[in-house]
Order: sequence, then C-alpha cells, then structure tokens
Amino acid sequence: MAERQYEELKEFEKQLEARGLKYVGRPRPNREAILKVTGKAVYVDDLRLPNMLHAKLLLSPHAHARIVSIDTSEAEKIRGVRAIVHYFNSPHNVFNSAMRFYGDNSPFDMPETEYIFDEYVRFVGDRVAAVAADDPFIAEEAVKRIKVEYEILPAVFDVDQALAEGAPLANPHGVDGTNICGGWLAYGSHSEEEVLKAIDEADYVFEDTFYLSKVHHGYLEPVCHVAYYSPDGKLTIWTSGQNVFCFRSVIAQALGLPHSKVRVIKMIVGGAFGGKLEVLHEPVVGLLSMRTGRPVKLRLTRKEVFLATRSRHSGKVTVRTGVDKDGRIRGQYIRSLMNTGAYAGSGPNTVGAQSGKTFLLYDAPYMFYRGAAVYTNIPPAGAMRGYGTPQIMLSRETHIDRICRELGFDPVEFRLKNVLQPFQNNCLGQNVHNARIADCIRVGMEAFRWYERRKAAEATHGQRVRRGVGMGLAVHGAGWYPVYQDLTTVTIRLHDDGTAVLLTGTHDLGTGARTVLAQIAAEILTIDPELIEVIEADTDITPLDLGAQASRTTFIGGNATILAARQLREQLLDEASRMLKVSIDQLDLDNGHVVVRNDPTRSVPIADVVASAQRGSTGAPQRELIATATFESRTAIESYAADFCEVEVDTETYQVRVLDFLAVHNSGRVINPLLFEGQVHGGIHIGLGYALSEEMIIDPQTGEVKNPNFKKYRMFKAADMPPSIRVITVEDPEEAGPFGGKSIGECASDGVAGAVVNAVSHALGVELRRVPLTPEYLRSVVEASQRS
Amino acid sequence: MDERVEVTLNINGEEYQLEIGKRWTLLYVLRDVLNMTGTKYGCGTGDCGVCKVLIDGEPVNSCTYLATRAQGKEIITIEGLSKDGRLTPVQQAFVETGAIQCGFCTPGMVITTTALLRRNPNPTREEIIAGLDNNLCRCTGYVKIIEAIELAARRMRGEA
Repeated sequence: MAERQYEELKEFEKQLEARGLKYVGRPRPNREAILKVTGKAVYVDDLRLPNMLHAKLLLSPHAHARIVSIDTSEAEKIRGVRAIVHYFNSPHNVFNSAMRFYGDNSPFDMPETEYIFDEYVRFVGDRVAAVAADDPFIAEEAVKRIKVEYEILPAVFDVDQALAEGAPLANPHGVDGTNICGGWLAYGSHSEEEVLKAIDEADYVFEDTFYLSKVHHGYLEPVCHVAYYSPDGKLTIWTSGQNVFCFRSVIAQALGLPHSKVRVIKMIVGGAFGGKLEVLHEPVVGLLSMRTGRPVKLRLTRKEVFLATRSRHSGKVTVRTGVDKDGRIRGQYIRSLMNTGAYAGSGPNTVGAQSGKTFLLYDAPYMFYRGAAVYTNIPPAGAMRGYGTPQIMLSRETHIDRICRELGFDPVEFRLKNVLQPFQNNCLGQNVHNARIADCIRVGMEAFRWYERRKAAEATHGQRVRRGVGMGLAVHGAGWYPVYQDLTTVTIRLHDDGTAVLLTGTHDLGTGARTVLAQIAAEILTIDPELIEVIEADTDITPLDLGAQASRTTFIGGNATILAARQLREQLLDEASRMLKVSIDQLDLDNGHVVVRNDPTRSVPIADVVASAQRGSTGAPQRELIATATFESRTAIESYAADFCEVEVDTETYQVRVLDFLAVHNSGRVINPLLFEGQVHGGIHIGLGYALSEEMIIDPQTGEVKNPNFKKYRMFKAADMPPSIRVITVEDPEEAGPFGGKSIGECASDGVAGAVVNAVSHALGVELRRVPLTPEYLRSVVEASQRS
Repeated sequence: MDERVEVTLNINGEEYQLEIGKRWTLLYVLRDVLNMTGTKYGCGTGDCGVCKVLIDGEPVNSCTYLATRAQGKEIITIEGLSKDGRLTPVQQAFVETGAIQCGFCTPGMVITTTALLRRNPNPTREEIIAGLDNNLCRCTGYVKIIEAIELAARRMRGEA
C-alpha cells in the first residue's frame, strides 16, 4: 500500500482513538455463541442435502506399496453402491495440497507430489479407493469388499532412517535421489563457516539435539466434506477448512476444472489449529459427486482422522551456541530436520517459516539456520499452530536453560541479557519494530515471583515430590510479509435501515474473527456490531483472502476492514454534507448518525443518508453505499511471549503435575480481551499436551499409528490442567496493526512446552531431550544420570 | 443389511415411533434419522463427550449407546434444553464468560453441566473438574468453561 495511504490510515486511527474507542478493546462474546450453545450452529456434518450419498475411504494397510490391481466387482454387487473411484479410473493430475495460490508450484517450496489416487501408497492410511453409497453402512461394507493386490516396498519412518546411506525413497520427488523434500534451506548473518567459527571462538560452546514428537491437532470436529456437482457443470464443496481460495485452486487442478466452475464454501469450523489448512479429501468427494451427479458427504471417523489427515512435524533440532563469559550469546547455529511424512504438502514451507523465527528472538551477532523437510512413510505432517515454531522454541529454550545451569546464570537474567530490544535490527538487519519481549520477561518475573519460587522449589529437591520452576520464550509473526504476497479484500455495504453487511474471505475457526472484524467496522461506522452481518469465506461471494494461517487474520483482515469502513464513512459524510448543507470537514459519525461536529443538534441518521444516496435526492447519481478495499501488508510484525510455569514431579511414579502457569504476551493492542484470553488458554492446553502427554506413536515395524483414538492419544482433560492459569499483556500498540493490534493465535502456544520442560528439568536436575515427558522417559533419564 | 426393529423413543418430551437398525446408536438415530444435529459425533468411542445427551437425567455418550436401549427412557438433547428461545442459566453463562470458541464440544459440555448442577447445585471447583472427566475441549483449556459453570451455579442458587 502506498506510503501516503498508510500514513492517512494511521492518522485516521489516531483521530478515532482521541474520540475514545467504544467497541475496540472491549470484551465481547463470540457472535456465534448462542447458535452454538443451543445446538443450532450448522457444521458440515449437519448439512442434509436431497439425495445425498455417503462416502467411505479405503485406506492403505501398508506403509509403502505399489498397487498392482484393484477388483471392485464384489463391492459393486451391493445394493446402494453408486460409485467407486481409485487409481485405475480417476484423473491423474499432480498437485500439492498446501498450495497457497494459483501457480504456486516451485519445486523448492511447494513440490507437487500428490494425486487423488496414486499408483503407490506411501503410508498406512494413504488413500486407495473411495465408495459413494446410499448410506454409510453400505459404503463401509463395500469398502471391505474391495480387493487390492499390493507389491510391498521397503519403508522408512524417521529422519535418521530416511537420511541413512542407501535408504529406500519414501517418495520419488526427493532432491538428488534422497529423501530430502524441496531442498536444504540454509542462510544466516554470515556464511555457515563464519558462524561456526565465531561459535567455536566463544568462551564456551554448547550443543544439544532435541527430538520432537508427532502430535495431532485434536480438533473435536472430525474432518468432513460435502460436494455437489450440479447439472450446469459446477462443483460446490462445503468444507470445514481454513483456506477456501487455496482449496479452490487445488481442487480445480486435481479435477481439471476452471476456477469459475469450483465453489468452495467454509462452514462453521469445529476447531482446526492448522489441521484444516490443507486440502484433505475434498477432491475425492468432488470426484464421487461428478461420477454420480448427487451430493456426496464424507465424514472421517476419529481413527481415520488420526491416520489420514495431517499432524505437527516431528523430527530433531540441533542447537549449537557460543557464549562469552559475560553471558552474551556470540553465535548460534541451528540444524533442523522435520519429518514431513509421505508427501511434501507444506513441509518445505514449514521449514521456511521456522527458519524466520530463529532470528527474531535473541540478539546474537552470528546466527545461521540450516534445515530441511524429510520424506518418510508416515502420515503427512502439515500446518499446526506454530508452523515449525514450537519445535524451534522448545529445542532452543531447553538448550538455553542448560547453558544457564552449566554457567550458573539465572534463566531470566540470561534471557534479559540476550533478547532483542524494541526497534532493534537483528543480525540479518531486520527491524523488529515494537518487540517488547524484555518487558514480557520483566513483568512475568515479578508477577510469578520468580526468584522466590525458584528458591522454594529448590528446597524440595531432596524430597520424593519435587517442584520445579521454568520459563520459555516465543515469537510469532502476523502474516506472510516479506516471504509471499499478503493481501485481503473487505467489502462493506450499508442497508437503507442503517445496518450493514461485511463480506470477507477471512475464516473464523471459532477464534472470533467475525466478532473482531465487526467490532472494528462498528468502531468506524458507529453502528452496533450486532447490526453488522459478517459473511465469510465463500469463493463465489466473498472477496479474496489467503486463509486463516500465519496468525494473519486480525492483523490483515482488521486493516482491510478499517480501509473499507473508512471509505464508507467518507461516502456517508459526502452525501450528508449535501443533505445538511455543511462542508464535509464539519461532519463526523456518532452513534449511527452523521453529526455536525460543532452543533450536535444537527444530525441525520445513517439510514436516511443511505436512502438519500439510493434515491439520488441530493442531486448526486443514484447509488448504493458500498466500499471495497484491499489491504496489502508491507511490514513484518512479531508478537512475543514469555511463559512461566511451576510443576511438581513425583520421583516414584514420575507423574508431572503443572501447578501454575503464567503467560505474558506482547500482542500490541488487544481488540477483544475475552477472545484474546481464550486464545491464550487454548494455546496453553495444546502446549501442555505437547510437553507432557500427546504423541502419535508410530509402530517401528509397520509405520502404523498405534494410538489412533482419544483413549490412547491423551489430550489434557480439565483435571490435568494447572489449577491456576493467568494471562498478562504488555499492551503497547504496534503502529502497523489495526488500532495497534498484532497477532495471538500461534504465539499463544509456541513457548508453552519449553517452559514446562525447563520446569521439569529444574525439578529433577537432569537434561531432557525429547517430548512428551512420559513417566517412562523421565525415569530412564533420572536413572541414567544416577548411574553416571 | 441390519435387522430392523420398531422402537418408540421419548425425546425432548415428544414420542417418536421409528423403524431402525438393531445396532444403530442413539447418536445415529438422533442425527441421521431425526435430523437433530445439535448432538455431535466426535470420536465414536465414548472418549470426548461431544455426543452427550441426558437419559433419565444422566449424561450419556450417545455414540456408544444403542438406540434400542433408550426405549421407555426420557431422552433430552441439546435442542430440548432452552424453552421458547430462552437460554437456560447454564447456556447463558457459557455465552457470557467466553466459554464458547469453535463450539463443537459445547452441546456436550452444556448437557454434562446441566446434569451436574441438578445433582449438586453448589459444587466445589474440584467437583466441577471431576464432572468434566468425560468431556474434552481443544479450544479453551477449560478455563472459561469452569468459570461458566461456577457462574451458572451461583445464578441458579440465586446468588448472582
């Protein structure tokens, strides 16, 4: 966006602030809450279309195999089976399910490795075939009767196996005949050699390797898609997704349709956390509807969700740090291998996002990142709340605490000495803007009574039940800038009763995005937010957006809303100036009226102004008051967090209990404190599970997920949560954000696990090198340390 | 394929005479026979609680409960709680406290809470947490859900 336009926008925000904000900064419940609490909210699985068929997938029982033949004759004999699709009767158009925009197919970033059905299956759970039938029972029975002949191939499951000499190729698209997906990403402040040399020349050198587990988003709404290919040749997909425009591109490419013949509609989403950012089985359902001419629904079972969707990247991260005697980090080198599973998806892009965060927290003159995504024969990894960042924060924050232990620094003081300061340039020369991480640490240290509680915890270290106090930091961006284009468009239309409708491609995942955008529009138009309808994410109706990802929704969508609302305000003042015979600069909006600033007795309701414009009463052409504005992000803005926690570890059972958690966030101005807190609480929940209880266990022989259910994949219950959870904000506005706001969605979770692992390390006095911290793992580490 | 049986189910105070599969779950009958979609499918194994309904006042996972077993019992679903468009105190408290994000666990949470507060109008925080043992939430960390239950309990006792 042009410099002048930007400055005007910021000046406008300041004027509104001077007047006093009425809706922005105030708590307000999610606008869908009443629908949801009465069971009336319609999710995809609640859609009931006439003559709708039910689909079921046949998933691969093998980690790696070639499909020799498929015999569907027995399945076809069942009454009510309407279509069966598989490799031998489906289109073979290659795609990448995480493609972000049309033509986004760089072999480095977005290798195209997926088909609706491939000749090969590459993980247990890969798609082999799909059936559409009159009811789900018939579809299930038909799937059981499909006979498939496989030629079994060798498989690899973890990054070490995949990169071993002569390893079988999990996917044929690897770089230079290896399992490296996309290629190595390697850059830093100086050359790799210079950074390694600087580290080695420091007074102390430390190196740790941390093993990251594969965790699932655990959204409670299972993946569900409905498709209908209508007689006019149009395919409509209703889905619980995070990125309808991207989905349109992928589905159109997979099925060979023009974008104008594909419509993707986002329904109310029952949780996503990144897990519904990439196209999952939408092309299959679309194909089944094209074959039958009937609406088709596919709803995965929970087991299928664990086997055949996405997860967070597992892998390993090595951090090597050079520290001088004064406690300053001289150099840091990070080497990351992320297990992306059987297909590329967002693997290389996750590595890219991860690399960026590496440089945005600590102020070291020498830093270098080298990382790659790696193909294996396990279910594909993808976006999950943090997108590579939790892995880096967890690996590095635990490494930092180890340095502190060995050199005798307090973890708070060491971090305060080394974090980036506001408006500082990092080692890559990037300005970090109003980065208030140091303030987060200071505020948290006071509020948590850090020194006092560390000491009190240490007094328990001879006892059976020991306490530990730890902390961890996190940083996350707000949008894609400067990596890719980042834009969104908002349209607002005023009705002649003075209410409005806002059209946006933004996706509300239960986060409250619709609520927040309505608050922002209401602030400018002075209309009650409840009187502003918000229509979201429908590729044929709403303007373009790039999806609910990269913590961009409030920042990008909020700014676009300000631009559109401001244009509409100008249209209102223009019409009203002729109605009231007062010059525009004398007019203002207040409480649903255009008012004469110095004479409040003279005003006209917005409804009358809209009606006047439509009638052309003041001599101007008859017109609708409607504004459309595109916001183009031109700033990289980071949110920061310092997380603190206290744990208790029973050294007989090695059960860990988190007693207290404090999250201190610098997210600029908080637009809606109620929803903001909810984001942080949910982020803590996901982070605690990452640290302590959640893991998709891959059978080392078969590559199968051994615990695809909520009994054995253990997400935290209410009783597992810390009895005390507090959220504090360091709320200094960030100029580029809407009313000074930054992001929260991912930053809420990025640093949680690091704080927990550090607290457990503090309690037990041992180095911990993996998550989750199961009792078995903790026992083995403690016993090994006692032996040595 | 499945053997059919005739059943009479009493749901939200109304009688439904149905011919259903012998092995159909109550959840399937509610959602796919009667189109009462407020009750959700989440796991199919009774581990997440999004499918909870009240059977004779007790919260039950309808995904593992055969519909034939529910004959002669009083079934209340999320659709049957609010009367004449008025939210119950439990529903009202969930809305106000911000206990609702994606909303997918909400019907089950509200059902569980309704039964809990009938049984124990003055629960301690520990009792509330114990009462949520079979309800998962992935969005809220349960913080605002517990606040909502405490607020609803206070209001139902006439204290707030």
